[in-house]
Amino acid sequence: MLLLQNARIAAENSPELVESDVLIVEGIIQQIGTSLAIPEGARVIDARGRVLMPGMFDAHVHFRAPGFENKETITTGSEAAINGGITGVVMMPNTRPALDSATAIATVLDNARHRARIPVYTSGCVTKNREGKELAEIEGMHRLGVIMLTDDGDTTADPAVLLRAMQYATEFGMFFASHCEVPELAGPRALNEGVMSYRLGIKGSPACAEEIIIDRDIRLARAAGAHVHIQHVSSKLGMETIRWWKSRGDVKVTAEVAPHHLMFTDEHIGDYDTNYKMNPPLRTQADCDALLEGLKEGVFDLIATDHAPHTPFEKAQDFISAPNGITGLDTALVSLHHFFVEPGKFGWDLVVKRYSAEPRRLMGLPVPTIEVGQQAECVLFDTEAETTFTKEFMKSKSQNTPFINQTLKGRVDLVILGTEILLER
Amino acid sequence: MARKDLLDIASLHREEIEFLLDQSTSFKKLFTHSVKKIPALEGKSVLMLFYEASTRTHSSFEVAAKRLSAEVTNFDVAHSSITKGESVRETIETLQAMRTDYIVVRHSHSGLPGMIARQTTASVINAGDGAHEHPTQALLDAFTIKEKFPDPRGKKVLIIGDILHSRVARSTSTLLQKLGVEVAYLGPGSLVPKYVPATIPRFTNYEAAMAWAPDVVYLLRVQLERQDVQFFPNVREYHRVYGITTARLAEIRDRGLYIMHPGPVNRGVELCDAVMDYERSLITNQVENGISIRMAVLDWLTPGGEFPRQESYAAPQRASSTVIMP
Ligand SMILES: [Zn+2]
Repeated sequence: MLLLQNARIAAENSPELVESDVLIVEGIIQQIGTSLAIPEGARVIDARGRVLMPGMFDAHVHFRAPGFENKETITTGSEAAINGGITGVVMMPNTRPALDSATAIATVLDNARHRARIPVYTSGCVTKNREGKELAEIEGMHRLGVIMLTDDGDTTADPAVLLRAMQYATEFGMFFASHCEVPELAGPRALNEGVMSYRLGIKGSPACAEEIIIDRDIRLARAAGAHVHIQHVSSKLGMETIRWWKSRGDVKVTAEVAPHHLMFTDEHIGDYDTNYKMNPPLRTQADCDALLEGLKEGVFDLIATDHAPHTPFEKAQDFISAPNGITGLDTALVSLHHFFVEPGKFGWDLVVKRYSAEPRRLMGLPVPTIEVGQQAECVLFDTEAETTFTKEFMKSKSQNTPFINQTLKGRVDLVILGTEILLER
Repeated sequence: MARKDLLDIASLHREEIEFLLDQSTSFKKLFTHSVKKIPALEGKSVLMLFYEASTRTHSSFEVAAKRLSAEVTNFDVAHSSITKGESVRETIETLQAMRTDYIVVRHSHSGLPGMIARQTTASVINAGDGAHEHPTQALLDAFTIKEKFPDPRGKKVLIIGDILHSRVARSTSTLLQKLGVEVAYLGPGSLVPKYVPATIPRFTNYEAAMAWAPDVVYLLRVQLERQDVQFFPNVREYHRVYGITTARLAEIRDRGLYIMHPGPVNRGVELCDAVMDYERSLITNQVENGISIRMAVLDWLTPGGEFPRQESYAAPQRASSTVIMP
């Protein structure tokens, strides 16, 4: 029995936080109200001033297992999620071997059940080994519960292959998640083309490389009657393309935005800082502003980190050699608070809607709320405390984040899932 | 004012530039008066780490180091076919163990010399990194221009060619602008990006560029090997549209303009053969001045200093730039 007193409760459809006591009995929220009587034997936590919200859900993470366990494992990745107030994730299939068959999916899901304290779901590849040529074992993966198909890390380059896959998989109720870039335009460098790429002397990837595939994949989905989910949108025109298609209403399209694309520009790369190297790349302030607008407007259905761990050795290479990607699970919620909620750019209702409810709806999962009768799946967040993201603080196996050794406003104090307290700080 | 490394022009202060140019003048004088060697760097070692072939820059540094009595070693990278960052990291550890005082590095990866500099106590000199910077080239270019225009303020230099891929264009124009020289770019639309600094006029038409009235015409080497996708149809067309043809040379002679080129020249592409005999060509002056400038740089840098012990691979990873509080 756990009684949280005077917590400020956040919900996706209420712009105001509601102060209440919350009583959790055997993993179920049993009572909500002011000045609840303290039942005998109940543990009491004074939550005054702190925000109680449903656990977050990240629909785009790279846990690297199998094949790259030096970067991350299902255990370390899911612990990083818990550390950041996230109680469910969807893994990307760009492992080695890639998750393109029922066998590979079965192994990884079995690992997830045994090695993670939170539900860990996985997507499957569109094509074998993400090569964009032969179709992956789509129905075999579906039978094991996979509903998201993606060649994330790359675009499925051949539109004919993707169209076929869409026609085939849609019949099973599956949907497609698209990493959008024209490979010939984007090149391998993960740097926005513009003033900064010129200054650094590295071939840049123009925003149109992303815009073209966003548009292409939505058109393919429309032709196939499929649902396409656009991953990690980084450009203003990319956002506007999705907005336009959504306004037409004749194709099922959803989209996500990553915290780093809302917060940083290519200028942050400064003197070749590889902790700002990811794909799609950081672009300009105008793009950040447009993405924020798109998030507030609902063009983006969800926030997802694209948590992409790499070892210190790999990231300490020169900018061109270093791999793409930054970690995000340990830092996402605190950084969203620091950059947006605290300065009043959006409220907790948006965070709950876009980072807890919508990603679960995308995956066809029940949405946790702080309501009587619901399973307790919640996070207690201190908006006044600070978090310093030291190497020791991070639970991810890798620390390739711009927030390394930075102090941000906000702290995840408590993570509850059912009868278990997953984290208490 | 002591500096450990010379990685770029962008971070050099005007006084440092003036100092290096003055030092170069002294070195040049000294060596025209039959001096063969001075003991400035006696007992010091200079390691040449060239991942890209370059006879010119390599030998220029080598002569400069030897004139200062330094011991020069060539690190054989030609035979290790892998020149990716990962193997460079291993090389750095080897270099650190070798206790070399100076490392002169050239690599196709922009920013790589800076990465080496952060991980070694040796003074690192960037001898060209990708399309990023080539600081000693910029210094020798400025020195060469100052020999003709002792007060270069307000003079105009037109840089022609592959601006997009050129580290020379970046370093030299940054340096010239710091000295008050005006710079403009001319080249094919595909090679002169629209996002070059706003302070630099951008031309894609030769006549329009000449109407800007430059004092110096600086041709960049056409780097055909860097072009993954074609940037212009062929070298014949390039020469006709952007090169110094015989007819254009006549006009340049009439106007008394100087011609520069970082070398090696692709004859018939950037320049017609007749430019080699043009009295105001500064191309050989550039080569000559390269030595005294590099002596000045070697003599100026101070190896050693603060260097964190490398405990693990994580150690040299700097903290990211400070996140701005909203
Ligand atoms: Zn991706």
